[in-house]
Amino acid sequence: MAMRRWIVAITLSMGLLGPVAILAQTDPQTAQGDLSVTIYNGGVTLVQDIRQINIPVGRSRQEFPDVSAQIQPATVSFAAASTGIVEQNFDYDLLSPNALMGKAVGEMIMLIRMNPATGVETRERAKVLAVNGGVVLQIGERIEILRDDGLPVRVVFDKIPPNLRAKPTLSITLDSKAGGVRPATLSYLTSGLGWVADYVSMFDEKAGTIDVQGWVTLTNNTGTTFSDARTLLVAGSPRGVSNFGPRGNRGTVRRAGTETAAREQLGDYYLYPLAERTTIANAQQKQVSFLNVQRVPAKKAYEYSVGWLTSMSEPASAASVIRFSSSAQGGLGDALPAGTVRFYQRDARGDPQFIGESAIGHTPMGSELGLATGNAFDVKVQAVVEKRERLSPSRWRTSMKYTVTNAKDEPVTVDITQDGLDWYFTDTRIVAESQPSKRRDSNGTRWEVMVPANGETIVTATFETRF
Amino acid sequence: MRHWILMTLLVIFPLPLAAQMVVTSARPDAVAVSVYRDPERAGGGIDLGNLRGFALISETRTIDLPAGDAIIRFEGVADGIISVSAIVTGLPGGTVEKNRDAALLSPASLVDGTLGNRVMLRRTDRATGAVREEAATVRSSAAGAVVLQTAAGLETLRCTGLSETLVYNGVPAGLSARPTLSVMTRSPEASRATVTLTYLATGFDWAAHYVAELSDDGRSVDLLAWLTVANSNGASFADASLNALAGQVNVDSNYAALGTPPEAEPLNLSCFATQSGRFGQPAFPEPTPTAPMAIRLMLSDGDAPAGVILFSMKEYGAAAVAEMENLGDLKLYRVPMKVTVAANGQKQVALLVKENVPVQRMYQITVSPGTPDNSVTGHLLRIDNRMGKGLGEPLPSGEVAVFEQVAGERRYAGASALRDHAVGETVNLIVGESAQVRLVQGLVGEKDRVRQDWGTELTNANPYPVEVEVRFDWTPGEQADNTVLDRLPRKDGYSIWTVTVPANGTETLKYRINGR
Repeated sequence: MAMRRWIVAITLSMGLLGPVAILAQTDPQTAQGDLSVTIYNGGVTLVQDIRQINIPVGRSRQEFPDVSAQIQPATVSFAAASTGIVEQNFDYDLLSPNALMGKAVGEMIMLIRMNPATGVETRERAKVLAVNGGVVLQIGERIEILRDDGLPVRVVFDKIPPNLRAKPTLSITLDSKAGGVRPATLSYLTSGLGWVADYVSMFDEKAGTIDVQGWVTLTNNTGTTFSDARTLLVAGSPRGVSNFGPRGNRGTVRRAGTETAAREQLGDYYLYPLAERTTIANAQQKQVSFLNVQRVPAKKAYEYSVGWLTSMSEPASAASVIRFSSSAQGGLGDALPAGTVRFYQRDARGDPQFIGESAIGHTPMGSELGLATGNAFDVKVQAVVEKRERLSPSRWRTSMKYTVTNAKDEPVTVDITQDGLDWYFTDTRIVAESQPSKRRDSNGTRWEVMVPANGETIVTATFETRF
Repeated sequence: MRHWILMTLLVIFPLPLAAQMVVTSARPDAVAVSVYRDPERAGGGIDLGNLRGFALISETRTIDLPAGDAIIRFEGVADGIISVSAIVTGLPGGTVEKNRDAALLSPASLVDGTLGNRVMLRRTDRATGAVREEAATVRSSAAGAVVLQTAAGLETLRCTGLSETLVYNGVPAGLSARPTLSVMTRSPEASRATVTLTYLATGFDWAAHYVAELSDDGRSVDLLAWLTVANSNGASFADASLNALAGQVNVDSNYAALGTPPEAEPLNLSCFATQSGRFGQPAFPEPTPTAPMAIRLMLSDGDAPAGVILFSMKEYGAAAVAEMENLGDLKLYRVPMKVTVAANGQKQVALLVKENVPVQRMYQITVSPGTPDNSVTGHLLRIDNRMGKGLGEPLPSGEVAVFEQVAGERRYAGASALRDHAVGETVNLIVGESAQVRLVQGLVGEKDRVRQDWGTELTNANPYPVEVEVRFDWTPGEQADNTVLDRLPRKDGYSIWTVTVPANGTETLKYRINGR
């Protein structure tokens, strides 16, 4: 460090301040300074850019290249010591051949004509009279239309009009009381950056455990590279932001947790800072690990939900569900940001194979989760309506039969839920059932059906309803 | 003195260079491909033109790692790689971050990457062929293409009518030919590591294709099933371990979108009006479109589903049959030898071989009050898949083609889609329809406003008796009482009337509906 200061001193004395200032930033290709980006799930990002700017005394206009190409210009704020803002401009009139010609109306341009046979060049000055459909030129006393004869003509313009730019440009006019280089903080919101979580979960069915790695996946489609940025991810979507991230399936969280994760919070949102500064390149998708836990208890379960008056002519597979907890005790021990959980299981040779994925929403620590990985090949359910009797104009008695089959060589338990028992009426009754069910809520009732290995179990139930 | 300082600066700031240490892994040493079916498809064959399944690809690669930070670029991966699913194991220093870079080298990104920098503007005289080059500076981005600053002043590209183009000095940093997966690792020491890269990729699918040969007496079939795997990726997987997984896996993310990286923007040159009243759109070579997908079709046989080999078992000595194992709630079929999964190709391996499977042949029709008169019945082939009943095997979904022997010749009898069937289920295949055996249903008399007499008549134009299963879509008690239908046996939610119709004869079921 002492060495570095010494070098800076030497270079300063030699008037080489410029190059050193550039070297102090990691990437000489960019005008960005000390960058911090805070990325929300919903696709909005707060960028803070502290640049070293030489601001003269009095009024001056500063341009800020290398801000996000998807900057929301109305959200820009600027702060530098002893400096006030006169006005902020965001100019997006792009430099193009068409715009150049349009702005040249009334101005002089140079024409370089080339004789196609001899290659001889002739130069003429011309005044652009109008650009309406074709370009109307005045050359001396003649009026001509540009390239009407189809012959090659080079058009040379003298200058770039002040408002035309290669890229949309942010500029701020400042009024400064003091002159000199000082840190200036530019902050703004941009769209085009977003993040989700991707979880890799290895399920060990015999041991009844999962190993889970959590990755944040951030995507940059802004058109701009953010160099060497401190990066903070916020698991949450503030209002007013369109949420294109996964919200999770209905029913993935079986019981919402009440524990607080040991992570920094911003109001109700958890923060996931990246450990190191990173460069988020344009068109890049970047993944960084944030969670790694081993041997968390997990249990496989089978579930099937039957809609009201469903009669199935063919059996259907029950959902395979993996249940686990995000609690500190016997669980993942963290709040889980929204994303996709991909499950893997080792085959007979020990190679990991994919067994299905499930989307989750933001999940508090301490939650009970049940994630469907797919439909079981060997565990099937067939529900049929056996009888419908009308007891009175507003009273029906329905007999249901649920056949649950298991082609596995071990017994399984299948949770069968009969849904749609109650719309607005609360006088639904279960008149008879072959095994006791547990009323999940007024709309559904559930049987835990034990099915022997290579066998079947039949559950019957009779309901009295208003429909 | 100045020279000395420059040297010192280089000594002090070499770190950004060291962080850029890039190791490229060109190809895997060994690869395993596990193919998953289209999760949306319950039965039937694959669509070679649009493979909607996916695969889990596991590649073993040998990589020489330097000590410290290094970026490992993986080349030769499937085009349909779902980069968010990539897992890298075996790195001694672990993974600091994984990146998928999709800033692609293209005419437009060359302009954008050279903005403000020098290029050469090359003009060729069409008459003499003389080439002139002059230095120019790019002043516009690709969005406002292209304004150049030359010695003469500000000019535009290709608005002149001259043959002119830009010649660049080099490729701007950060651009690559195709989307690239890389990981950053931090190794404690230089070493040679065996790394496994595992990822999901789109552009695969598989289905089972069953060939059922009916015996002469029609009471049994010889069953041969093919495992048909297809790959529409541009990448071939040579000497791969190939697995196919049956069962329905849950997929919540949009694999088609995740497997399609952002495309490079085309460069559209624009000009001011270059002739009276017409705006010029100068021609510029567009990026070459990808060659139309060349799909190698296999033999097809008559009306049978295209792309399927329809050898009978006798013609085919099944030398290698896929081995089945249970993987959780899925079935894993392992191809017993190393195979090459070719780019834009389909491959078939025997999945199941079973002889003399008992089969029941009959006619079936499902009847509701609106069933039209003279409805044709379906040819039903029913196989009991219980253990000990001749088959007793898990049957992954796909297509079944049925052949029979008629007058000593092999004839195609029909085909049907098949869903996944577990051991113990009944397989019902409707492989065609019969114009000879039909059903007429209707009101035959009205006792009064609520009591109606109905009749269901089956007609058989064949010179032999046929067995017909009529499935009444009838729920006892629901709309009315029916002393006949209410007493029929129930199966699969239907009331079932099973009857043998005599040769060239009819059979009728009469019933009275007592409405309320």
